[in-house]
Amino acid sequence: MELLIKNGAVYDPINGIKGDKTDISIKNGKIVDKVSSRALVIDAGGRLIMPGGVDAHSHIAGAKVNVGRVMRPEDTRAGIIPRTKITRPYTGYTVPNVYAIGYRYAQMGYTTVFEAAQAIMKARHTHEELEEIPIIDKGALTLFGSNWPTMDYVREKDMDKLAAYVAWGLLASRGFGIKAVNPGGGEMWGFGKNVSGLDDVVPNFDVTPAQIIVSLMKVNEMLGLPHSVHLHCNNLGKPGNYKTTLASMELAKQVKPSKDRQVMHVTHLTFNSWGGTNWGDFESKADEIANFLNNSENVTTDMGQLIFGSATTMTADGPVQYANAKLLHAKWGNGDVELEDASGVVPIFYVKQISIHAIMWAMGLELALLTKDPYKVLLTTDHPNGGPFVNYPEVIALLMSNKKRQEEIKTLNEAVHKRTRIPGIERELDFNDIAIMTRAGSAKVLGLLDTKGHLGAGADADIAIYDIKPDQIDPSVEHAKIKSAFSSAAYTIKGGEVVVKDGQIVATPAGRTFWVDASVPDQHTDIMMKDIRMKFKNYYSINLANYMVEDAYVTHPNVVRAGVIPVTAR
Amino acid sequence: MQTVTLKPRMEIMISVEAENISPDRFAGRTEKEIQSLEVWMGNRRTTIGELFSVKVEGEGGSAAADTEIIMEGDFSRVKRIGEGMTAGSIMIKGNVDMHLGAKMSGGKITVAGNADSWAGREMKGGEIIIEGDAGYYLGSGYRGETCGMRGGKITVLGNALDFVGEHMCGGEIVVKGNAGLLPGLSNNGGKIIIGGSTSRPGSEMAKGTIIINGAVDEMMPVYRQEGTEVVDGVTYRKYTGDVVVNGKGLLYVK
Amino acid sequence: MTVITDALCPLCGCMCDDITVVVEDNKITEVKHACKLGAAKIMGHDRIKAPMMRTDKNSDFKEVSYEEAIDAAARILAGSKRPLLYGWASALCEVHKKGILLTEELGGIIDNTASVCHGPSALAVHEKGLPSSTLGQIKNRADVVVFWGSNPAHAHPRHMGRYSVFARGFFSEKGRKGRKVIVVDVRKTDTARIADEYIQVQYGSDYLVISALRAILAGHADVVPDTVGGVPKEQLVKLVDTLKTAKFGAVFFGMGLTQSKARYKNIDNAISLTTELNSFTKFVIMPMRGHYNVTGFGQVCTWETGFVTAVDFSRGAPYYNPGETAANDVLARKEIDAAMIIAGDAGAHFPANSVRYLARIPVVQVDPYWNPTTEIANIVIPTAICGIEVEGTGYRMDGVSLRYRKMIEPVHPTDIEVLDRILERVRELRGE
Repeated sequence: MELLIKNGAVYDPINGIKGDKTDISIKNGKIVDKVSSRALVIDAGGRLIMPGGVDAHSHIAGAKVNVGRVMRPEDTRAGIIPRTKITRPYTGYTVPNVYAIGYRYAQMGYTTVFEAAQAIMKARHTHEELEEIPIIDKGALTLFGSNWPTMDYVREKDMDKLAAYVAWGLLASRGFGIKAVNPGGGEMWGFGKNVSGLDDVVPNFDVTPAQIIVSLMKVNEMLGLPHSVHLHCNNLGKPGNYKTTLASMELAKQVKPSKDRQVMHVTHLTFNSWGGTNWGDFESKADEIANFLNNSENVTTDMGQLIFGSATTMTADGPVQYANAKLLHAKWGNGDVELEDASGVVPIFYVKQISIHAIMWAMGLELALLTKDPYKVLLTTDHPNGGPFVNYPEVIALLMSNKKRQEEIKTLNEAVHKRTRIPGIERELDFNDIAIMTRAGSAKVLGLLDTKGHLGAGADADIAIYDIKPDQIDPSVEHAKIKSAFSSAAYTIKGGEVVVKDGQIVATPAGRTFWVDASVPDQHTDIMMKDIRMKFKNYYSINLANYMVEDAYVTHPNVVRAGVIPVTAR
Repeated sequence: MQTVTLKPRMEIMISVEAENISPDRFAGRTEKEIQSLEVWMGNRRTTIGELFSVKVEGEGGSAAADTEIIMEGDFSRVKRIGEGMTAGSIMIKGNVDMHLGAKMSGGKITVAGNADSWAGREMKGGEIIIEGDAGYYLGSGYRGETCGMRGGKITVLGNALDFVGEHMCGGEIVVKGNAGLLPGLSNNGGKIIIGGSTSRPGSEMAKGTIIINGAVDEMMPVYRQEGTEVVDGVTYRKYTGDVVVNGKGLLYVK
Repeated sequence: MTVITDALCPLCGCMCDDITVVVEDNKITEVKHACKLGAAKIMGHDRIKAPMMRTDKNSDFKEVSYEEAIDAAARILAGSKRPLLYGWASALCEVHKKGILLTEELGGIIDNTASVCHGPSALAVHEKGLPSSTLGQIKNRADVVVFWGSNPAHAHPRHMGRYSVFARGFFSEKGRKGRKVIVVDVRKTDTARIADEYIQVQYGSDYLVISALRAILAGHADVVPDTVGGVPKEQLVKLVDTLKTAKFGAVFFGMGLTQSKARYKNIDNAISLTTELNSFTKFVIMPMRGHYNVTGFGQVCTWETGFVTAVDFSRGAPYYNPGETAANDVLARKEIDAAMIIAGDAGAHFPANSVRYLARIPVVQVDPYWNPTTEIANIVIPTAICGIEVEGTGYRMDGVSLRYRKMIEPVHPTDIEVLDRILERVRELRGE
């Protein structure tokens, strides 16, 4: 099967293409240098072409997502579309069903999405849902930040065992990388408590969040994992937490990257760039975070942009969710996982006239606009925490148009003027910047640049064509057109197959699941497994033999090999 | 004024979903156009004309306010009548099924018979009068929502079952007869007046008023008695609560 | 002879995963570690041998081929204006997915057995959420365990040993000795007999008692009457003190709470009590789910449709409103015109009126076993037993998913094969 896309205005930052008319040749699902004359031709007619969108942080599958759905039938009843001959029914807005997730991402031109947190013990559930999400490629990051084995090995300073545990945990969970959420706090939430800073000691385990973060970064680089440690900082949700965020980012200096990428990805900065000491003097410190990023080379971030209206917060950060539920008098889901981590789910409604929400809205944008290099700030809404992913086009329009921002600011609580810098920021991003923040940068941060995020030969033929002619539009003025075009791709091509045409789903192939198989010396695994067997015998409520995710749950795998020693296929 | 009269053409056993029976949808439409409006019977898409005879009299222009719907016969298997209506009137000379006047914001619905559960669900304005009995969840919300009825008035001349005005945030509900378990549950505004008896009123009431003129079978153990008070010339025992939610709700019991 | 270790028990929501099964000549000859109930299920009992049909429900069944039974079942379902597909609790998640697809294509209603046991719990979760945890969290940490309207000594025999009362863990090395066990129930159950404290609540008064506990916890003991639901106020005050001074507390509730007066509102109230206890210490709450994979159906239905069960697909999109769309709602209103009962027994558990109505309409049963539903069925299609003859996924009562092993080879087709063939035939009949 060959396809030739002609006449498009291509934005492919990795290959240095900025709006040039470039033909794209596709064969057998991959981008190639040339196709034969038999190739099917799509005439893009001068319209905007980008690589398929890549989302490095979204909550799309697993236990807490499903808890969100069960808790929120009032959300599920929004956005319902009946079945058709091609599609299953869509439901939900902040907590869509599996089908709506795949279809809506594809309709925006996205083709690869990573679930941001799974506990190993609940990974089977995550994969059951990932399997059912149509079209897009996906993967899931595995939680390691409060696991008992992690903390034991950090305390013992045994990086070999920790690396062996991470490698085994990735295999057990079919995970793609290391996620740490409020490191140490997950354990403390087991007794309703929390850590309050990077140097707090976790009782009974005698380790600090800082030690956990640094050790996980070290083994991440020992293992040469494609992605870096993916960190949800301590103290999230507390005014003044930007200091903890900056201190966490400082830790990145202690570790050298094993590849051409960051050693730490700090996620959803809208929730941890908070200044002030309480809700009264709450303010944005996104400028300080941006300043750090402008002077550092080994940390990346994503926005976690706030979208006004309904959202569902869900995170492995159990204590912050209890605090949220109490503050908002909202319903509360909690899901501690024995020996591993916590989690919580709380609905929220972001209101323009609430000062805290208006300030948070500004934070994501400030971060993106004050950080010079778009490779350091990915576009996310931390779906569905800041808001549902279907609002990415809104965020794109805000980043590309100061006019739109100023119009929006007029409708917000006045605190946005005094406690953020957004009103005075004039920078407007261009299509190349947007292509970086939504594709090239995300693929680079994830370590997937070999096949994702660009349009060079060898890449997966994941392509989006949008109904905009870049040379005939002024995004600053025509921001509504920008938003509408990015909401509804003229074409989405996934693995060489047209899956969306004129915003409508036309085919629903199954996507693949990326996971990382990292090898370590057998003797490290052997001694590590002695500890693990002991933990199963005494503490887990299931048997070791029933713990690891079986092949049956990853029917379209894409295994990425890594490891401390030369790798042989498992 | 345009008057549209509907009569069932057959006995209906499988529920019909008929949110198109509404002054807003009928306004300015001819008999033929109304007949062709969609309704669903189970999994079969059908039309108003297939299930009901339709007679249009008078000229109404295109405004819902100038449209009156008269329904004669048994509609006890017809759901969602008047859903979302903004103006005009519906007179039903019989019983109706669930979700009568759900989300309505204006106009008036009168039912000569009984209305099944969720009558006036998430109602914002207008008036519903049920001359017979009402089912469960009168004037309540949808599952998971924090607000049920927000405005308007519902009057039931007969009895209502459990959960009257659950999550009510505004408006008024009057039940002349008895109300079932837990009226005014989790309400956050609005007023409920019960002529007869009920049980466990006002649990988790944060705000709002409940007046009970009959017997209270079981009182919630979460109310503070504050002596007596005269409301509209009647002396009641006055309670405030629910203390569990630091509620400012007022509960008056005769 | 084959010995299978670490096998999962397909009986109750505990889903014990430490079972050893001995197999000789494709027959299970021995079951180790399981409780009596679990062992009996795994050892097996009389099966329906072949598909059977009858037109008149008063006449005897005639054995037919699978092809004939599946064709007849498809004709009934494809012609129905309002089909109900009910059961699912004794089937694996892979079957649930297929069942949801079939229901969607039929424009029917799908509902599971939770409708008549723990369905009310979900309605409460919509209102209040669910502060919960995995069972191992309780095993390792809990020093106070409350059983409210639940009786694990009978219904979940290994629960107390593996997860709750007697289990030893990291912070709970002393097991039973380090735990306070409280039972709240209308009668002194066997679980109550081994408890440290038993609180007897008058029948139907749970809601009032929970509200009183919440008022006391919120510092408003002054408004609470001297006795609530038959429980003296001093006992309630003492109980609140025990709960809030726990290091880690867990509430397990059962059908004593979900099926008594005020039903799901009892759970709603208990969830709020649990949430409010978290202002003082750590507390979690969990339903004691009955059938092993009733939880799994809820999970699958939720990610597929957004709704947990009782989903009406009649207009091509999921619609959910228990009280309107649950199996018993539509049966009580006599508006179903055909039913498929699969991996669950409607005949035994529904109210008499609903069963009488089922007896009047075409009913297809898909099940390994003869049960009261068989007596009111027209078409009976026997299948392999999930979790014994078929491998696949189940969800434990705490939402942990585990993979069931196949212990022996099936003689009958699996539920998935049967559903696939029905779906295929339905599409043919509709000319798709």
